Amino acid sequence: MTATTKLSLLSLLSLAVMLMAPFAGLGDIADELVRQQILYEIRLPRTLFAFVAGAGLALCGMVFQAMFHNPLATPFTLGVASGASFGAALTVFLGLNVSLLGFDAITLGAFIGALAAISFVYGISRLHYSFSIETLLLTGVATSFFFSSLILFTQYLSDINDSFRILRWLMGGLSISGYQSLLQLLPIVAFSVGIMIWLSRELNLLMAGDDIAISRGVAVKRVRYLLFFTTSLCVGAIVALCGPIGFVGMMVPHICRLIIGTDHRWLIPATLIFGGGFLILCDTLARLVIAPAELPVGIITTLLGGPFFLWLLVRSRRSA
Amino acid sequence: MIEVRALHVTLQEKTLLSDISFRLNAGDYLVVVGPNGAGKSSLLKAMMGIIDKDSGEILFHGQALSDYSQRELARLVSYVPQSSGRELPFAVEDFLKMSRYAHHSALSEWQPDDQAAVEDALRITNTAQFRQRQMTTLSGGESQRVMIAAALAQQTQVMLLDEPTSYLDPHHQVEVHRVIARLNEQLGITVIEVSHDINHAGQKGRQVLALADAQAVWQGPGDIFLEQERLQRLYQQEFVFVTHPRSGRTIALADPL
Repeated sequence: MTATTKLSLLSLLSLAVMLMAPFAGLGDIADELVRQQILYEIRLPRTLFAFVAGAGLALCGMVFQAMFHNPLATPFTLGVASGASFGAALTVFLGLNVSLLGFDAITLGAFIGALAAISFVYGISRLHYSFSIETLLLTGVATSFFFSSLILFTQYLSDINDSFRILRWLMGGLSISGYQSLLQLLPIVAFSVGIMIWLSRELNLLMAGDDIAISRGVAVKRVRYLLFFTTSLCVGAIVALCGPIGFVGMMVPHICRLIIGTDHRWLIPATLIFGGGFLILCDTLARLVIAPAELPVGIITTLLGGPFFLWLLVRSRRSA
Repeated sequence: MIEVRALHVTLQEKTLLSDISFRLNAGDYLVVVGPNGAGKSSLLKAMMGIIDKDSGEILFHGQALSDYSQRELARLVSYVPQSSGRELPFAVEDFLKMSRYAHHSALSEWQPDDQAAVEDALRITNTAQFRQRQMTTLSGGESQRVMIAAALAQQTQVMLLDEPTSYLDPHHQVEVHRVIARLNEQLGITVIEVSHDINHAGQKGRQVLALADAQAVWQGPGDIFLEQERLQRLYQQEFVFVTHPRSGRTIALADPL
């Protein structure tokens, strides 16, 4: 099968999920008017929102995996999402209400938190010339714990209502209504995708290691900073709007690499399509498992992602 | 065409290179020798812009390295790292195609002369038969040749090679060195090669730069390099010298006694 065929099949699959998801669990509503309203005001925006968020998360994971040459390195394992979560939680707690360039305070807080976390983790990894991927992952774990306790601290200081809201938000959820969140997220993810497509050759070369990438002519430092900035913005915006939804960025790009290969000119569209479809699927599951109540989607992705992480770990140990 | 003047490189307060100077003309073949940890690899990395220098000058065609963008530099200088490349997740031909990066902008299309460069590189290094294979499935000798092919596809006037024969059996060592000699003699590529093979360095037509403890301890033509006292000082090791029965060349052997 050629890459084009595989990509078309993936697109069809993803499209099918996208078309079916809004209707799942809608059958038992008798009133036609209510049904229409739920479909267009709740289900459709939610499905589209899940697609955009899933695509963004998967692509950010793909970029991290390429930059650090390891499938275990993602914005979540390296503490970037925790940084973003803390930034967002802090803005909620402080009740900050500024906006810049059309971004609201929570998104800005999450972006700054994400950028702080990645700068910290990367800075630590640069202290030693020959750092191992284990050092990097452990630094990420430590950073995650650090920001998690800061979030707990913020939560402890909040009143019971805010505290519950923060907790619920930390589980990750896509329960939005209307199109506002979608319209907020879409331009940021679209911008990030644009940057990634523009840098697809650089991403290919980064996978060969920094030394080879530099010798082939890639200005590695500049590319890396640009990608840090882009992924921080993207992860920040997603975390601000739907909380940290873990493991999408690890599973999706890795599976796509197995299917379509390592060339980012194919991998980027595949990851985008698969990531979007995957999160819609997880969200639909989250809605149906204990219907009429619903689970936070983060629980589903993490339940799938945990075993996947362990499988990757065992596999990479064996090949090393 | 290449000039290095009083080059100093330190990394985390460790001196990697101290006061290194040399000049090369187009088409020269310089072999950098010296004990482990002498700074040989660092010299290549500094010349490729992979690590930063602290002071001194590196000039290509009279223009400072820092005046070239990384892309411009990659059109002039290519680099074969010490790693065998067998951990890379690419097919051979795709990996070679990636070497054309410096000849492209973000939007430019693959051109016939790009494909020609890849085909030439495959032919010269005799690697065309495994162009479809994954790098991970190659043997040590095959992957070393592919790494050279990838640098060659970059079509540069200067090639830096970091121990390109280190993991190879004698047959493949000879083969890889034959490829490099062909690049140097027939294509006129200026070669700087890091090597532990002192007999490979000590040949007519080669320049030798001997490094020890981050400093240049000797430089000169290859055919007078192999000399008892010099080698002993360089490697802290006794050597015996024999004459090759067929070529008449002097061969140095580390003497375990």
